Amino acid sequence: MERNLFKYPFITSFVIVLLLSNISFAQENDVTNYRMGFNLTTVKQPDNSRLLEVTFIATNKKDRKDKVPVFNAEIKFFNILDEEEELLGTVNTSKEGIAKLILPENQNYLTDEEGNINLTALFGGTNSLEEETAEISVKDLHLELNLTEIDSVKTVLVSAFTIDKLGEKNPVEDVEINFYVQAMLSKMKIDEGLISDGVYEFNFPTDIPGNINDNLLVFAMVVDHDEYGDVTQSETAKWGVFHKHIMKEENSLWSAVAPLWMYTVLTIMLVGVWANYVYTIINLIKIKKEGDEIKLKL
Amino acid sequence: MDINKRKRELVKEFSPMLEKTSFVSKLWIVILIAILSVGLYAFYLQFMNGHKITGMRDNVVWGIYIINFIFFVGISYSGAFITGVLHFFKGSWKYAIARIIKIITVLSLIIGPIFILLCIGRLDRLHYLFIYPRIQSPITWDIIAIMTDLIGCFIYLYLTFIPDFAILRDSENLKVPNWQKKVYKVLAIGYQDTTTQRERLHKITEIMSVMIIAMAIVAYTVLAWIFSLTLQPGWNSTIFAPYFIIAGLYSGVGVIIISMYLIRKTFKLERYIRKIHFIGAGIVLLIISILFGYFTFSEYFAKWFSHKTNDVELLDTLFSRYFWEFILANYIGVLVPIAILFFKKLRTIKSITFAAVIAVLGLWLNRYLIVIPTLETPYIPIQDTRPEFIFYTATWIEYALSFAGIAAFILFFKLIMKFVPIIPMSGIIDQERCEEKRRKNTTEQVQ
Repeated sequence: MERNLFKYPFITSFVIVLLLSNISFAQENDVTNYRMGFNLTTVKQPDNSRLLEVTFIATNKKDRKDKVPVFNAEIKFFNILDEEEELLGTVNTSKEGIAKLILPENQNYLTDEEGNINLTALFGGTNSLEEETAEISVKDLHLELNLTEIDSVKTVLVSAFTIDKLGEKNPVEDVEINFYVQAMLSKMKIDEGLISDGVYEFNFPTDIPGNINDNLLVFAMVVDHDEYGDVTQSETAKWGVFHKHIMKEENSLWSAVAPLWMYTVLTIMLVGVWANYVYTIINLIKIKKEGDEIKLKL
Repeated sequence: MDINKRKRELVKEFSPMLEKTSFVSKLWIVILIAILSVGLYAFYLQFMNGHKITGMRDNVVWGIYIINFIFFVGISYSGAFITGVLHFFKGSWKYAIARIIKIITVLSLIIGPIFILLCIGRLDRLHYLFIYPRIQSPITWDIIAIMTDLIGCFIYLYLTFIPDFAILRDSENLKVPNWQKKVYKVLAIGYQDTTTQRERLHKITEIMSVMIIAMAIVAYTVLAWIFSLTLQPGWNSTIFAPYFIIAGLYSGVGVIIISMYLIRKTFKLERYIRKIHFIGAGIVLLIISILFGYFTFSEYFAKWFSHKTNDVELLDTLFSRYFWEFILANYIGVLVPIAILFFKKLRTIKSITFAAVIAVLGLWLNRYLIVIPTLETPYIPIQDTRPEFIFYTATWIEYALSFAGIAAFILFFKLIMKFVPIIPMSGIIDQERCEEKRRKNTTEQVQ
């Protein structure tokens, strides 16, 4: 993304100018070559906050690889119920064309009878760029992740439910859920399945190494669900298993120990040379002895 | 032949070198000590401030120190090679130059490695090289090779000095300080020039002379491998080891000729260091210069013809920023000595010495062009940095230490010549002894 920004500095700057300026007569032709992409996603995060994210990127109609992020566009986020409209916040897009808004855990949402939260992102438009809107509707799914040992078996327990207006928990059914552990660079999948009667359970693998303190960060994730969108929950447990990698290291140029032939050749050469030095010194001692004897005789 | 009488004659002839120090010589010593002092001050500054006061940076990590190191060590190895070879020649002519070459060999092998120490940014970690050596590394091989070779050269030099120490010890009329006489006595190790002692000394000297030829080749090959075993453009070459050996011989013979000229002039040794020596050395220099030119051409031609991206970049650098240096090193530095030495009429003592000076200077520049432009054109392009970090320019600190090295070389040479005659007296006596024996044999055969 960033590379595209620098690759097409003219287009980027031109889009910025369009957004900031009302004078846009000369550039209109160029904007028409681009199709505006305006997408809204939402993720319920492990701390139960909700992330709203808008991606605002222009794509060349003729060359789909030519993507230009729309920078500094003012995005308004709304929670809408019928005629009622609540402004959740306003965020400007970054250089990557992304606007993020995080709503706290205790945020009160307007929900319909079925518990759907209707979220809308709105870009008001400029003289050059048209107004854009994106909508998304999700139910507030609650995930509870428990990492416990049952009869010495490390068990992962997940309960998934929604809460109705009366405050009662309603277990969800047939929701696909994935489990990961945090690896060094990305998340490693360890299990997947369907939530049945609001519960999913599996035995945690016994061969995963943890961090320096043997801790593992376990994620339970519902991804791109039609009703619930993206929901993530995480928990840490001291379940890492230390594996000592026993690798037989062969003598090589790049190992700690050099190839045998190298030791052999070097030893032969050095012993040969130093033996000659010793031989020379022994002969010098003999010369000295003979000299001393002659001196004594004299 | 009365050996003792002959020894006395020779001591009388060479004793002025040991007994007297002329005003010019004293002045030279003062100048050399002054240059050394500036060098020591530069070293103090470098030690306290680190490499930031030199021209060396993260990209060009080696500067003229490593060039001086290669240069001095090259002279030493070529000296060891030539002195080893000379040992197998018969004739009085070799004695006139043998000791000069041996002293050059040892001194340059002492001074050369000091320059590599100056390349080390953290001298306080020097001992790590010995505590944690990686036997796979050519640097470790080089440390072992240099130390072994230095000890070997010391022993060899000492072996050839023993008979002269004995002569000087037994010379009652020699007017030198008492401590010097005591040192002669200790170093002569009771050598009385008996047949057994002479034969024993001759045997071990002969073995050592063979050994130092082999060691010189091995050690300089290892030094070349420090460069050629890397993948750097300009260094990764299969002919680098023989190229280095030829280059070392080229500079070595050059320095020997220059030394011969200066010693001959200073001590008026025209009787011993004759024109024939210069012509002989000149012809050797001619052959080596042709070989060196051939290797240089082959090295750069292969790079140009194969047209690998990084090699082309390096050649572009050599023919743009280093154009004149390249011309001086690889054209003038090779073709001028060839032109002078090729024609018999031009082979005078002065012109041969001039050719040697050109060869030595050209070769130093050649070493510079091997090290610096390569480091300035690495595989990964240098970006977002200051120009002075990309391009190398030596600072006064580096020049001061370089000249201090040369000054130390000359100063030690002068001090050794004050301690022992530059022409081996024992060699002259041995030669005369052999000639007399031959004469006797011929006479007996005739009778």
